[in-house]
Amino acid sequence: MEWAQILFKALVFPGVIFLLLVIFATFYLERKLVADMHGRTGPYYVGPYGILQTVADIFKILQKEVIIHREADKVLFLVVPAFAFLMVSLVAAFIPYDKNLWIVSTPYDLIISLALLTSLPAIFLFAGWVSKSKYPFIGGIRVINQLISGEIPLWLAGLSVALWYGTFNYVEIVERFDLIGFLVNLIGFVIFLVAILIVADRPPFDIPEAEQEIVYGFLTEYTGLGYLLLAGAKFLEVFVLAAMTVTLFLGGFKGPFLPGWVWFFIKLFFVYYLAFAIRASTPRIRLDQLIKLTWKVLVPLALLNIVLIILLKGF
Amino acid sequence: MYKGAQIITEPVGKEGDLMILNWGVQHPASGPMRIKVWLDGETIVKVENDPGYVTRNLEKLLEYRTWESAIVNVERICFIDDLGTLLNWALAVEKLAEIEVPKKVQYFRVILAEVGRIVSHLIGVGSMFGALGVATPMMWVLAIREYYLDFLEHYSGYRISTASIVPGGLKAEPTKEDFELLKKAIEETKKRWPEYKEVFKDNPTLVERYKGVGVIPKKLVYELGLRGPVARASGVDYDVRTRYPYSSYEDFDFNVIVKEEGDAYARFLVVLEEIEESVKIIEQALEGMPTEGKWKVRVPKKIKAGESYSAVEWSRGSMEYHVISDGGTGPYRVKISAPSFMNIWALERIAPGHKLADLAAIFASLYICHGDLDR
Repeated sequence: MEWAQILFKALVFPGVIFLLLVIFATFYLERKLVADMHGRTGPYYVGPYGILQTVADIFKILQKEVIIHREADKVLFLVVPAFAFLMVSLVAAFIPYDKNLWIVSTPYDLIISLALLTSLPAIFLFAGWVSKSKYPFIGGIRVINQLISGEIPLWLAGLSVALWYGTFNYVEIVERFDLIGFLVNLIGFVIFLVAILIVADRPPFDIPEAEQEIVYGFLTEYTGLGYLLLAGAKFLEVFVLAAMTVTLFLGGFKGPFLPGWVWFFIKLFFVYYLAFAIRASTPRIRLDQLIKLTWKVLVPLALLNIVLIILLKGF
Repeated sequence: MYKGAQIITEPVGKEGDLMILNWGVQHPASGPMRIKVWLDGETIVKVENDPGYVTRNLEKLLEYRTWESAIVNVERICFIDDLGTLLNWALAVEKLAEIEVPKKVQYFRVILAEVGRIVSHLIGVGSMFGALGVATPMMWVLAIREYYLDFLEHYSGYRISTASIVPGGLKAEPTKEDFELLKKAIEETKKRWPEYKEVFKDNPTLVERYKGVGVIPKKLVYELGLRGPVARASGVDYDVRTRYPYSSYEDFDFNVIVKEEGDAYARFLVVLEEIEESVKIIEQALEGMPTEGKWKVRVPKKIKAGESYSAVEWSRGSMEYHVISDGGTGPYRVKISAPSFMNIWALERIAPGHKLADLAAIFASLYICHGDLDR
């Protein structure tokens, strides 16, 4: 029953329903872990340990009025968030949770994922543009600036992994992962970690949605369902990038004793915890300081990393 | 009279090539004040202040009060650090009525004023980080602040806006439990503050964002009449507590923090280090508190005609009152000279040339309180 299996995978796991659960879970996790770093409790009253808080919040957002700015383009205003969600979900189809638990596995996984992720800056710029308002416009311009600078170290670090293992396919990269692979790709790991924070607009690089400067960046004018889709797309982007980090640099689903997907989520949790700790401790840097960081530090480092990998592979 | 006041009938658009932005009243970081920003790309070309959204006409309302009931208006000049404003009012009225309060009242007033300063500076430090998007320092300092608010609540019944200092003395007598709570607050501060101070001071991104940003040169301080931590961070050594001591401040031994660079980081450091100095003063006052005397001296209902001027070193600068009495049961006219109103005009001079992202940083480092900007 080929088609039933594909339908199950596409709709339930690891498909749409699973992705929605991911949004719920990571939102809740972020609030609880960051609250712990703040010395607070986080969500507490709704459900045991506040688990249902996110459910309450998302259903609250769903029933809010969708306000469209008077001068904004009515059709595009509603289409752009849906499009962002669609593009990110496409990337999520490639993630391997276990040896046989994936939706799509092609010989060109890595390149397709990176290419699909490159479409997101343009979509976020459109989100800021069609709002026809000054603060979203500034946010959209900042998105282009930041993501163009941040995508290059991402590509270079990601491709250096493919260079070492000799393949673009995620499952094969995980299969060939071992201690030597981990140590060789360590510099690439650090660069990739910084790059995913830049690409996903996570603090300290949340410049396009700097609340204290430009209200909420390109998300300012969105309310209700549009906001949910756009913010959900950003959450999923973090999930997809973290999953890529785990697959490429940390050995994906490989691990002793426990089943593969358990190891996958443990490693994913480690990457998430790192991102939350960085968020709770680092102020935001300015856009020109970020561009100096990427072009003067990350890109040369990533290029040197590729040279190093080529040399090491020669031995 | 400044020319920014205008009634807006259409949205601000653009002027030539520049984009005009309302860093405005509905904004997460501006507080209730509008700042009109002329932008060229991301660079600020011109800035215009538009305060006045929190005006409650306190100076006019004071004319309808009696000498003691005026504290309800005076304490709302800024409700976070209301103790300095109350103290100033008490000093001004006591000057008019020519009353001398006992030493132990003066010592306890010093304690209250310094508690107000600590409470306000803690929020100031938190908000200087909050302007950069990280909420963690704000949460940590609010945790320390809770101990001081417990003391204030037990003593006066209110956490903020305490109405505790009245002309002639104190509204309520401090009890043993009040002193216990205060000692606990000091203890908690000394336990946690050294570690927090190192973390805040050495945060590399904070240093990178604040160093060299929003430099106020020394002559601008004299030209605009800037006060408080803003002036002290630019090298001007002026603190009313040491220059014109009031309420027994001359008995205490503390440093006045002065920095030379005048940038946002220097202002941040001044606020950060003044907290420790205030803790020192409170400890000295607790130790040396005399025990004889009453807690409240009788103030006549009608004070004879005259004028008085009084200034205290409030958390944001020197707060000054000019009070005129015409022999009645309340003031005839009060003029409040507020430090935040003086300091905000530095923003128009130093912001041009910076990026839009620095506007939030400079604004937070000027340590403005909107209640006292508009009164």
